Amino acid sequence: MKKVRTADDSILTDEFLRQLMNVGEVDLLVGLPTHNNSSTIGPIVATIQAGLLAFFPRDRAVIINVDGGSQDGTRQLVLNAAIDDARGSKISALRTLPVISTQYAGSPARGTALRSILAAAELLGAKACMVVSPESTQIQTDWLTKLLGPVYAREFDLVLPTYSRHRFDGILLTNLLYPMTRALYGLRIREPYALDFAFSGSLGSQFLSQNPWQDETARAGSETYFTLHAIAAQSRICQSFLGNREHVERRASDLVPALRQTVGALFSSLGPNMALWKSRAESKRITTTGPEREFTLEPLRVNRKRLREMFSTGVGELESVFQSILSPPTLEELRRIAGLDEAEFRYPAELWVKTIYEFAAAYQKSVISRDHILQALAPLFRGRAFTFLLENRNGSADTVENNIETLCLEFEREKPYLLEIWNGRE
Amino acid sequence: MTVALQPAGDIWYKRSIIYQVHVRTFFDSNGDGIGDFQGLDQKMDYLQELGINAIWLMPFFPSPLRDDGYDIADYYSVHSSYGTLEDFKKFLASAHQRSIKVIIEMVLNHTSDQHPWFQQSRSSLENPRRDWYVWSDTDTGYPKAGINFRDTELSNWAWDPVSKSYYWHRFFSHQPDLNYDNPAIREEMWNVMKFWLELGVDGFRLDAVPYLVEREGTNCENLPETHAVIKELRQKLDQHFPGKMLLAEANQWPAELRPYFGDGDEFHMAFHFPLMPRMFMGVKLEDRKPITEILQQTPEIPQSCQWCLFLRNHDELTLEMLTDMERSYMNDSYAQEQTMRLNLGIRRRLAPLLENDRRRIELMNGMLLSLPGTPSIYYGDEIGMGDNINLGDRNGVRTPMQWSGGWNAGFSTADPEKLYAPLIHDPVYGYPAVNVTSQKRTQHSLLNWMARILAVRKSTDVFGCGSIEFLYPANHRILAYVRQLGTETILVVNNLSNAAQAVELDLRRHKGNILIEMFGRTIFPRIGELPYLLTFGPYQFYWFRLRRI
Repeated sequence: MKKVRTADDSILTDEFLRQLMNVGEVDLLVGLPTHNNSSTIGPIVATIQAGLLAFFPRDRAVIINVDGGSQDGTRQLVLNAAIDDARGSKISALRTLPVISTQYAGSPARGTALRSILAAAELLGAKACMVVSPESTQIQTDWLTKLLGPVYAREFDLVLPTYSRHRFDGILLTNLLYPMTRALYGLRIREPYALDFAFSGSLGSQFLSQNPWQDETARAGSETYFTLHAIAAQSRICQSFLGNREHVERRASDLVPALRQTVGALFSSLGPNMALWKSRAESKRITTTGPEREFTLEPLRVNRKRLREMFSTGVGELESVFQSILSPPTLEELRRIAGLDEAEFRYPAELWVKTIYEFAAAYQKSVISRDHILQALAPLFRGRAFTFLLENRNGSADTVENNIETLCLEFEREKPYLLEIWNGRE
Repeated sequence: MTVALQPAGDIWYKRSIIYQVHVRTFFDSNGDGIGDFQGLDQKMDYLQELGINAIWLMPFFPSPLRDDGYDIADYYSVHSSYGTLEDFKKFLASAHQRSIKVIIEMVLNHTSDQHPWFQQSRSSLENPRRDWYVWSDTDTGYPKAGINFRDTELSNWAWDPVSKSYYWHRFFSHQPDLNYDNPAIREEMWNVMKFWLELGVDGFRLDAVPYLVEREGTNCENLPETHAVIKELRQKLDQHFPGKMLLAEANQWPAELRPYFGDGDEFHMAFHFPLMPRMFMGVKLEDRKPITEILQQTPEIPQSCQWCLFLRNHDELTLEMLTDMERSYMNDSYAQEQTMRLNLGIRRRLAPLLENDRRRIELMNGMLLSLPGTPSIYYGDEIGMGDNINLGDRNGVRTPMQWSGGWNAGFSTADPEKLYAPLIHDPVYGYPAVNVTSQKRTQHSLLNWMARILAVRKSTDVFGCGSIEFLYPANHRILAYVRQLGTETILVVNNLSNAAQAVELDLRRHKGNILIEMFGRTIFPRIGELPYLLTFGPYQFYWFRLRRI
C-alpha cells in the first residue's frame, strides 16, 4: 500500500494540503467519507454535483473525498465528478467545481474521515459543509439545498435529516438514541446519529478544536459526538425531511460496532454535559422542514425468534457482568423475562428505560471496561427489539409513532431515576 | 501546440493597438461644445505618447444623430459639427505622420431615414431607388429574425406613411436596411469605400455585418448571400487597395464568426464578442473557466486574420453571447441597478464596472493585451473615466474626454450648457479627480501605467502574432498561458482572485529557460524538472520572457 505522508502531528497529508491550496477559499464543502464504495459512489457523487449546480450555481463549492484506502477504484469514481476547463465538460456550469480526494493515514475510521473533512473545511473557510454517506444511494439533488440551504442562509448551525423509513428500520434509533437524547437534552432530534448532515463552518471549527479524537469512542462515533457537541454548545439545530431511506439489512455482528458508534458516544457525552441535561426538564420540538418522520409498512421478514434466543442466552451468560452494571431489581426482572417462552415474552418500556439508565450510570462510573458495558447491552437490545417488532407487527404508521412516543415519554418520566442513580453512584 | 510563424504580407493590424474614439467626444477646437477633427488633430501627440498605433473613428458623417451617427445621411462627407473634409484629411495626414493607422466606421447595413436615398425610395414605387431598401406590403415577412433593440422596437418592420408600405429595419425604425440583393447598392457602397480609401484611410470597421441580406425562413443572420457580399468587397479592396483592412462587427458565437474570415478572403479582423463578458465573469467568479472555455471553443483562423479584443466600447457591455444563467450572474454582479442595463447588456465604462479597483483594471488590461488578438481601448478608459447612467441609451459612456480639472475638463471653451453631453461630475470619477493632466504628473497613475504596458506589448510581436497554449494549473484562480512566435516565448500568468495565491506550473517543456519579468526585467529562477512555484498578490499578473542563456 502506498505510504501516506504527513507532517509529524498533522492529520493532513502533504498531498491533501497541496490540493486544498489549489482549491482555495470556498463557500460550500461536501465531504464524502469512503472505503471501497465503488458500487454506490458513482451515482451519489453525480447527484451531489447536479445538486450543487442546480441550487448553488454561483457559489464556490468543492467536493472532498476522504478515503480509508479503497482498493476498488472508489477515489477515481469520485474524481470524475469534477468540472474544470482542463478536462472539458458537457455540463453547463458557471464556475469550476473542484473535486479532490485524499487517503488518510491509519485504518479506515469514520472519525478520522470526519476529522479530515472538518480540517479541510476550516482551511478553506467553508461557510456551509455537508457530509454524505457513501451508502446513501437514495440521495436526491434536493438534499443539497435541504441540508446545506439552512446553514448557508446562516439560519442554523446544524441540519440533521429525517427520513421516510420502514417501521422496523433503525430500531436502535427509535428505542434508544432518539428517546434518550430527547429526554436528556430536551430536543426532539429524530436522527441524532446521522450519516448525512450539514453544519456551519464555525460549528465544524469549534468541534475540531475540542480535539475529541484521542478518545476511542469519539473516533468511532464521531457523527453522534458531533451532534451532541452541537447540542451542548446550544447551536441552532434543525431537521430537514429527505424522503425515503432504504432499509439496509444488517448482520448480527454489526450491532456491537453500532452500539459503540452511537450509544457509546451518547453515554460518553453525559459526564461532561451533566449540568446541561440535568437542567432540562422537558423536551421541545425543533424546526423541521417537512414531516418529522414517515413510516413505510410493507412486509419485512425478521427472525424474531433468534432475537429472543440471543436475549435469553445473553442474560444467562453475562450474569456476572450485569451484576456490576444493573440494580438487583432490574437484573431480577430481566432474569424473569428471559425465562418466558416466546408467546409470553415482553420487554416492557419501563424496564427497558431503567436498564438503559443503569447502563449509562455504570458507563459513567466505568464499573467495568466501558467497551464491555456496551457489548453487554447487545443481547438486551435484541430483547427489546423483539418486543418492538411484536408490538408493531400489524401496526399502522400512527400506531408505530404512538408507541415510540410512549417510549419517549417513559424516558422523560424516568429521567429523575437516572439523576438519582447518577448522583447516588457518585 | 503549433508555434506560429511570422505571417507574410502587410499585417499591421495584427501588431496594432487600437484606440476607439468618437470625434465629438475628444476635443473641441472651436468652442462650440462639440469635439471636432481639428481638436482630434491637436491631441495626436497625446495618443502617440500613450502608445497606440491605430485609431478607430466612430461615424463622423452627416447624420440626424438619432443613433450617435450610426444613422448616416451622407456617406461622402463630414458632419458639419466635426469640421470639413479638409479637416479630416489634415487629421489623417497627422496620424500617418506619427505612424498611426486610421480605421473609420462604415455602416453598410442601413442608412438614416433622412438619407436622400431613402427619401427617394419612399417617394414612389417607380422611383429608380425604390429597390435600394427592403419594402413589403405586410409586416409579416422574416418572422424568425430577432429584434436587436428590444427595449425600443416591437418589430423589424415599420410602416411608411409616404409610400404606404412597410420597410425592414434590424435596428431602430429610423434606420431602414439597405437591400443588398440589388447590385446597384453593392456597387454604390463600394464607391463609398473607395472614396475614403482614396483619401488614405487604412481600414474600415464594418458595422452590423451579419444582417446585410434577408431570406425567408431564416433568422436573416450570417447568410451565405451576406458572405458573398463581403467576399465581393474584399476582392475589390485587395485588387485596388492592398494592405487595407476590414474589421467585422458581428456579435456572434466564435463558430458562427469563423466564416467571416473565409479562407482569408473576407474580413481581416473580427471582434471577439463572447470573450469580453467572460473576462469580466472570470474576474468576478475568480475562476478562469469562462475564459479558457470560450477560447477553447474559438476556432483557428487563417494566418493573415486576427481577432480584435476589447474590454469596453461605445455600446453596452453586451451579454447576448451568454447563457441565461451567465447573463443573470453578470447583471447581478455588474449592474445591480436596473438603469445600468440596456437591451441585453450593461451600459457602463470599465472603471465603474470594476469598482475603480486599480488592481482589477490593470489585470483586465493585462489580459486584453496578452491574449491572442489586437486590443482595442475605448477612449477615456486609459485614465479610468466614469460614466453617467442617468443619460439615456448608451450616452452615459460617451461623455466628453476629461483632459484637465479646469473649465469643461479642458474639453471645450464653450459654456457648459452648450456641451454635446454633460461632463462627469461625481466625486469619484468627476473630471477634477480623473483627468489627463493630473495623471501625467503622477508617475504611478493609470495613464502612465497604461503607456508602460503598451510599450511592453509593442516590444514583441508575440502578443499580436503568436500562438497560445493554455496551462491548466490545479489552482483554477490562476489563468496561465504560453505565447510563442518563432523562437520567442512568453509566459503569462494572471491571478483572477481578490486574495493572494500560490500556483505550481508544469513548465518542464521549457526546462532550462530562465524567466525574465517583462516590466522590471527581473530575473526569476531557471525552470527545472519540478513544478515551478509562483506566488501572487491579489489580481496580480506576470509577463515573463523565456530565455535560454
